[in-house]
Amino acid sequence: MSDNRALQYRKEEQTSVRASLRPGGAAMMMKPGEKPSRFRESFFRLIRYFSEDRYSLFLILLLVVLTVSCSVSAPMFQSRAIDCVVAVDLDALPGLLGIMCSLYLLSGIFMLLQSRITAAVSRRVILRLRHELFCRVVHLPVRDTDAATRGDLISRMTNDTDNIDSVVSSSLSSFIQCVLMLVLSFAAMLWICWQLALISCTAIALSLLVTVTVTNISRRFFIRRQEVLGELNSTVEESLTNFRTVTAYNMQQGAADRFNRSSDELARCGMIAETVSSSMGPLMNMINNLIFLLVAVCGAWFSLKGLITVGGISAFFVYSRQFTRPVTEISMIYSQIQTALAGAERIFELLDKNEESSAGEEPGDLKSASIEFRHVTFSYEPGHPVLDDFSLKIEAGSKVALVGSTGSGKTTVINLLMRFYEPDSGEILINGRNIMDFNVHELRRRIGIVLQDTVLFSASVRENLIYADSSLTDEDIAEAAEFSGLSEFISGLPEGLDTELAGSGCHLSDGQRQLVAICRAFLSSPDILILDEATSNVDTRTEKHIQDAMARLMNIGTCLVIAHRLSTIQDADRIVVMDHGRLAETGSHGELLKKGGIYSRLYSIQFAGQAT
Amino acid sequence: MISVHALRYWYFACLASIFMIFEVMVDLYQPRLMASIVDQGILGLGHDGKPDPDFILSTGAVMLLVTLSGCFCGIGSGVFANLFSQKAANRLRKDCFGRILDFSFAQTDRFPAGSLITRTTSDITQLRIMWGQMIRGAVRCGMFLFAGSVAMLSLSADFGAVVIVAMPVIIAEIVFFLWKTTPLFTSLQEKLDRLNSVIRENILGIRVVKAYVSQDRETGSFDSSARDLADVRFRIALLLAALHPLMNVVLNLAVAAVIYSGAVRVESGGMHPGAVMAGVTYMSQILMSLLMAAMIFQTVSRGSASARRIGEVLRQKRELGDGTLVRGSRPGFVSFRNVSFAYPGSHGFALHDVSFDLQAGGTLAIIGPTGSGKSTLAALIARFYDAEYGSVMVDDQDVRLFSKSALRSRVSVVLQTSQLFSGTVADNIAGGKGDYSVDEVVRAAKLAEADEFIRALPEGYDTPVGPGGSGLSGGQRQRLAISRALFRKSDILILDDATSALDFRTERRILDHLREDFSSVTKIIIAQRISTVMSADQILVLDQGRAAGCGSHSELMASSPLYRSIWESQMQEEK
Repeated sequence: MSDNRALQYRKEEQTSVRASLRPGGAAMMMKPGEKPSRFRESFFRLIRYFSEDRYSLFLILLLVVLTVSCSVSAPMFQSRAIDCVVAVDLDALPGLLGIMCSLYLLSGIFMLLQSRITAAVSRRVILRLRHELFCRVVHLPVRDTDAATRGDLISRMTNDTDNIDSVVSSSLSSFIQCVLMLVLSFAAMLWICWQLALISCTAIALSLLVTVTVTNISRRFFIRRQEVLGELNSTVEESLTNFRTVTAYNMQQGAADRFNRSSDELARCGMIAETVSSSMGPLMNMINNLIFLLVAVCGAWFSLKGLITVGGISAFFVYSRQFTRPVTEISMIYSQIQTALAGAERIFELLDKNEESSAGEEPGDLKSASIEFRHVTFSYEPGHPVLDDFSLKIEAGSKVALVGSTGSGKTTVINLLMRFYEPDSGEILINGRNIMDFNVHELRRRIGIVLQDTVLFSASVRENLIYADSSLTDEDIAEAAEFSGLSEFISGLPEGLDTELAGSGCHLSDGQRQLVAICRAFLSSPDILILDEATSNVDTRTEKHIQDAMARLMNIGTCLVIAHRLSTIQDADRIVVMDHGRLAETGSHGELLKKGGIYSRLYSIQFAGQAT
Repeated sequence: MISVHALRYWYFACLASIFMIFEVMVDLYQPRLMASIVDQGILGLGHDGKPDPDFILSTGAVMLLVTLSGCFCGIGSGVFANLFSQKAANRLRKDCFGRILDFSFAQTDRFPAGSLITRTTSDITQLRIMWGQMIRGAVRCGMFLFAGSVAMLSLSADFGAVVIVAMPVIIAEIVFFLWKTTPLFTSLQEKLDRLNSVIRENILGIRVVKAYVSQDRETGSFDSSARDLADVRFRIALLLAALHPLMNVVLNLAVAAVIYSGAVRVESGGMHPGAVMAGVTYMSQILMSLLMAAMIFQTVSRGSASARRIGEVLRQKRELGDGTLVRGSRPGFVSFRNVSFAYPGSHGFALHDVSFDLQAGGTLAIIGPTGSGKSTLAALIARFYDAEYGSVMVDDQDVRLFSKSALRSRVSVVLQTSQLFSGTVADNIAGGKGDYSVDEVVRAAKLAEADEFIRALPEGYDTPVGPGGSGLSGGQRQRLAISRALFRKSDILILDDATSALDFRTERRILDHLREDFSSVTKIIIAQRISTVMSADQILVLDQGRAAGCGSHSELMASSPLYRSIWESQMQEEK
């Protein structure tokens, strides 16, 4: 009966080894961090993602019960086998050892099955959650995505889902297992001797106290460390993205100082947090030994009073050990669940936002579309109107240029026309129909746009160009590339159209990126074309070439151009000069020059000195 | 190279190991105390089979002491192991970042930007975890293994035989799993990076995604990346799911073998039953420490991948040598003598045999088609790269003779893309200088025509600038970048297409300020607009890296067909 030393020892080592062998390993185990603000609500909402897998969940539960019962009963046969050795009874020994081994084998098989099903369930649940989140984010109105900081949005889609992923895949079954162990051992202890069982309950109190204290102390420093890590990351990121400026302006020392400060603070917080949490092991070990002594002293006294048998005390040692370990583990899992739920809350916050409505009628063919802005007022922040009672009529098939100083509202006009934002008052009409009545996707499909900030994707040049329609052939691309002055660039690429643009095309010059974006827009064969400072970094001869092509091109109907370079827009049918969100003057190049207003002043500045 | 950083704090590592050795010794000793409490105190062996509370209390007191000292040693070893790994990691992190700041542009081009960030952060964390585990885990595991094996052999040769049979099986299992999982962990990291980059691109390019109504396609490609990642995770989970039960089975078979062979020896009278129980304990210890060793191996294999990646950064040599010169004989004089330059890894020359002279205080304008080498020329003056042939001269001295920081404080370049830093508007204009006078900042902003819009910002000069200058328009960012250059009062000023987002009035005023207030400063202005370059003393026309003409506006109109055609493309309508 006294083989419990071996059992105690093994139980302990096994659980600790298992804890660190979870998928992801010790390095990826989450540290205690934030707390969710609405624990219960978020918890049940997360649970709902499992509803399709409820049968698998029951199966997991069943298998966990089987595993635990096997691994709880196997030690009994082992101790009986040892009793046989003590009694030198070799006949019963092979049978007992056989049962013991088969129980362990069974428990192993159940555990294997259980882990496999858990892995499959967590894979499905996470894919479901990720898919839903991504879908929601790309369908959010631009106002919402602009309002969120990009880093925050990205971290919700990456870190927060990752945290949920690792909790779901690793903690789910160990949590059930721990609870089961706790209940079973407590029941066994009560059955042996309830007085001693109650005394042993101090074990729970003590280990809970230690766990909670240690976690609370380390939590503070882990949170602080997370913040400092954020600072450190942004220092590195900023210094690297602005590397040229840092070098050109001798800012290395400043950057290094800032980095070193964060780094020192990071090491300090990490040191405290890790030290505190690494003292948990020795402390729990000590508590276990204290409980051993407590049970020994009280047990001996009870046994003299006849309340418990000597064998009962031995069994008690085993169970009291099995008792404290789950308490520690449950509290660790609990704090992981908290971190994951805090992330889940941020994800749910995004999922609760409304998508852009895709209802509305077909806009039909917009090849010859007239566009009209009727008394449109708009502000990004309440009280600061960017467009103020703005009215403009663009005739079907004409080329109109928007001119005006920075901040006069040119890009806003386009944001509204694309329905990235909605006007506060007034309406925008295409062919006399309010664009708010159109299906927003169909509307955008008919408008080709080249934005001020060029965005390319990390894919081949071909995939970037045929972004609108993947059925386009290389001949189509060659034609559009000719029009947009991109042919030379493509022929200079090592693998032509198949060249991969690494890092979203960051190795291209600004001018080249703009040319790619223009070609991409041409290839979408739009009914309406919008160029927002699309050629600002392209040299004027190439720009001229593009414009000539556009005149002949793919019978594009209405065209809206924003540019600072007046040479870009001189041949527009109509030039609209904007000033502080209002239409200041409008007319053809010649008319505006004669008028002697803002435009003619702009023009004379641009061509100052030319007369000499 | 990396071990140097770790070795610097060897004393912490030694202390941690010593404390750990004591802790393990306590751990090994404690079961004996427990056994004697159970055997003599409770089972009452040698006490007529009755519990002996006095014995329990006296031995319990000893055990209490031993336990407390074990706890103390355990915590102590944690303290020193953390001191060691954190301090060494901190040192390494700082050195690594310092080295990166000293990179040449060619070197930063060699590493993708994202990878340098992970190298200075998560790779170092990985290494720190490895160090911490190696010190504590390896000592603990080695001692258990050693003490266990010795004790086992001393008990009986049969037990030794069980160890000899079981050990290779366990080791084979561990090797198999490491061999299977290591490539999966590498691929896990790749899939994770891929998924994150899909997310990042879609968030940054959300307007393009919406404008092209490609949400469904993007969702499809996101889903496939997410599935790839989930598949790798799944495969790892399946492997690890098999590892633990398998180990358990082998372990218990070994235990059964120990009990049986022990029983045979007991029957023949060659052994006490107590020795069998001890054998079971030691067997578990040995096999469990092997399992622990497997985990340490896993951390080490990940850690060594990180160490390799960090080593790549640290091994980079300084590519641009440093000189000592601070100022040359003709301050402000800039010239190129037959300069040719090719970007590393590219075939053709970006600049080919370019020469010009620019007197101090003069203005040189550079114009030419996209990709003609204009920015490259600017980059060579500030010595972002070194010319391959010929020489780039500042103050009539080769730039390579200058101290790099002195050269760069003499030359201010405003780059094509305005790069701003988080901090206030004023901090940005002061360019990272800690103590600056606000008047100077305002003066620079006024010269760059930025004062007016800055004052209209919610907190004026103290308005925080978001990362990357978010919240400011392109034109505003450019004017802040110009202010930053003007604030420095350097001898040579280069504007690399730095006014492209400004309207003409603003640009004209800035150029006027430069002419009037910076008459002694040598100015190089790169631009697309002919009106910007027209009034320069000297205009250099570049075409495919070669000088296609150099002279004043009227000279070039007469001599350079390229210049004339650029001029025509911008002036045509007016004719």
